[in-house]
Amino acid sequence: MGREPDGSGRIEVSGLAKRFGTVEAVRGLSFTVEPGAVTGFLGPNGSGKTTTLRAILGLVAPTAGSTLVEGAPYPELTAPGRVVGAVLEAQGAHPARTARRHLQVCASAIGVAEERVDEVLALVGLADAADRAAGGYSLGMAQRLALAVALLGDPRILVLDEPGNGLDPQGIAWLREFLRGFARSGRTVLVSSHQLAEIAQTADRLVVISAGACVYQGAADGLHGRPAVRVRCSDPVRLAEALAARGVLEIDHVADGGLAVAADAVLVGDTALAAGVAVYGLVEERADLEAMFLRLTGGGVA
Amino acid sequence: MTTDLLPTAGVLRAEALKALSVRTWWALAIPVALLAVMVNLFGGLFSSAVAGVGDGLPGILLASLAYALSLTTVFAALHGVVLATSEFRHRTVSTTYLLAGRVPTLLAKSAVAAGAGAAYALLAIVLGLLAGLLGQGAAPLPSVGGILALSGIGILVSALWAVLGVALGTLVVNQAGAVVALLVYVLAVENLVSLILRSGTQEGSAPTAVARLTSFLPANAGDVALYDLPAQELGGRFASSIVEGLAGVAGPPPAWGALLVLVVWAGAGVAVAWVVGGRRDVT
Repeated sequence: MGREPDGSGRIEVSGLAKRFGTVEAVRGLSFTVEPGAVTGFLGPNGSGKTTTLRAILGLVAPTAGSTLVEGAPYPELTAPGRVVGAVLEAQGAHPARTARRHLQVCASAIGVAEERVDEVLALVGLADAADRAAGGYSLGMAQRLALAVALLGDPRILVLDEPGNGLDPQGIAWLREFLRGFARSGRTVLVSSHQLAEIAQTADRLVVISAGACVYQGAADGLHGRPAVRVRCSDPVRLAEALAARGVLEIDHVADGGLAVAADAVLVGDTALAAGVAVYGLVEERADLEAMFLRLTGGGVA
Repeated sequence: MTTDLLPTAGVLRAEALKALSVRTWWALAIPVALLAVMVNLFGGLFSSAVAGVGDGLPGILLASLAYALSLTTVFAALHGVVLATSEFRHRTVSTTYLLAGRVPTLLAKSAVAAGAGAAYALLAIVLGLLAGLLGQGAAPLPSVGGILALSGIGILVSALWAVLGVALGTLVVNQAGAVVALLVYVLAVENLVSLILRSGTQEGSAPTAVARLTSFLPANAGDVALYDLPAQELGGRFASSIVEGLAGVAGPPPAWGALLVLVVWAGAGVAVAWVVGGRRDVT
């Protein structure tokens, strides 16, 4: 017990699995979160994001696999409040307590000076509402209070679960800037969302999961950048085989009998000609992130 | 136990701040004060409960104090239950566990609840003494030593029950469920179990081994500890049967033995809460 954090700001999830009764919430999930970037953790509702984040924070015990924060399981970190700040769903304050008192309680538990309370209140824009009972807060204010708690210990890592929930557009824009700045200072941000649009403008890296398993991990640009070509042709099966022979394996049959191919249009046209397949239509589309996300997470057909 | 499992001073302070920043602690102090005053103002309430013991004995105020403490201890336990379950009810438990850790939180809450339980007992004793002096003016005063000894026992019993409350709350999680479970157990289940355990003993004969188990139930153990001293003042060599009648037990151990039983219960409660609460998924 009591392992010193290694100061790396790194989160490592390896082979994580979690079963709740008969439900497999997470199945063999592995990814690494590095400092200096905002990592978006993306997946549809019920895909296991919250379970994964709670496993990282030691609130949920994995069925298999492990999660490490700065080289140690979260519950074994000494002074965890100074390493990680977390904004989770279902994380509240006692309704009868004022925001200031809530923060004083948390500051005492972390072991930071009480001056820090006023600093974080100002930082999240709650200074004027600090002496109101938290029970009267709007969802957005409660979310800001949770962020204030997360920032109390001046952590190297921020973990946020759907932080945009309840925030108004200004709040979301503010949070986006804040997270970017936090990451620019060399620290780590892991932020989950089920809305791609919300995260696309913020995240440098993406981890996309679907049904508890990782379907994409890498630069956010990488997901943007994949070309896609829609082909209507005389023999989709033969074209698919010919493309596969040339090493193009990401091919989907689409509803109108055509193909969606993750390859360059020239390559697809040349391959069709060589294979003797008549092409009736060839549309090059830069698959937008949303469509790619839906395809990756099985939420729709490209 | 490594030092990481012990709460830091900051975590202890955080738990104390939490307890003091909500109304629960003084809301529960009200019935404690009322019961202490009423029971001791009319010491007759107590003497009528003890058949064959009249007014005018030096032990009567001590006995009514013990009776008041026996009644008010449940509020200390309730406070402990609320301290533990409030985290789950208001969904603050994730934050608490993240910042302080699970075991330090359990231990800090136990310590804070024990402090509050001790304060409740002290309140009951002070108010009870004042009311007793007013209402039972004719009765001879108990010795200072007797009052101090009973106070010590009352404080310990109340503190230990508060710790049991924290353990129960940590295990049950649901606030209403834990409160109901506590009240049903203290008011009904333990009496019923005691009745069944005693049923094998014939009137006038020595209690069976099974019947003796009654003293080892937590609420009974608290009562035995509280009634031991007043019973000795009142009944002398019949003290044991007075304790038997008041606490509903058979063959009671002395006060220190009963306190030890309660210590073991509280320790066992915390240990179970430690293991179960330490593993539970917080979602």
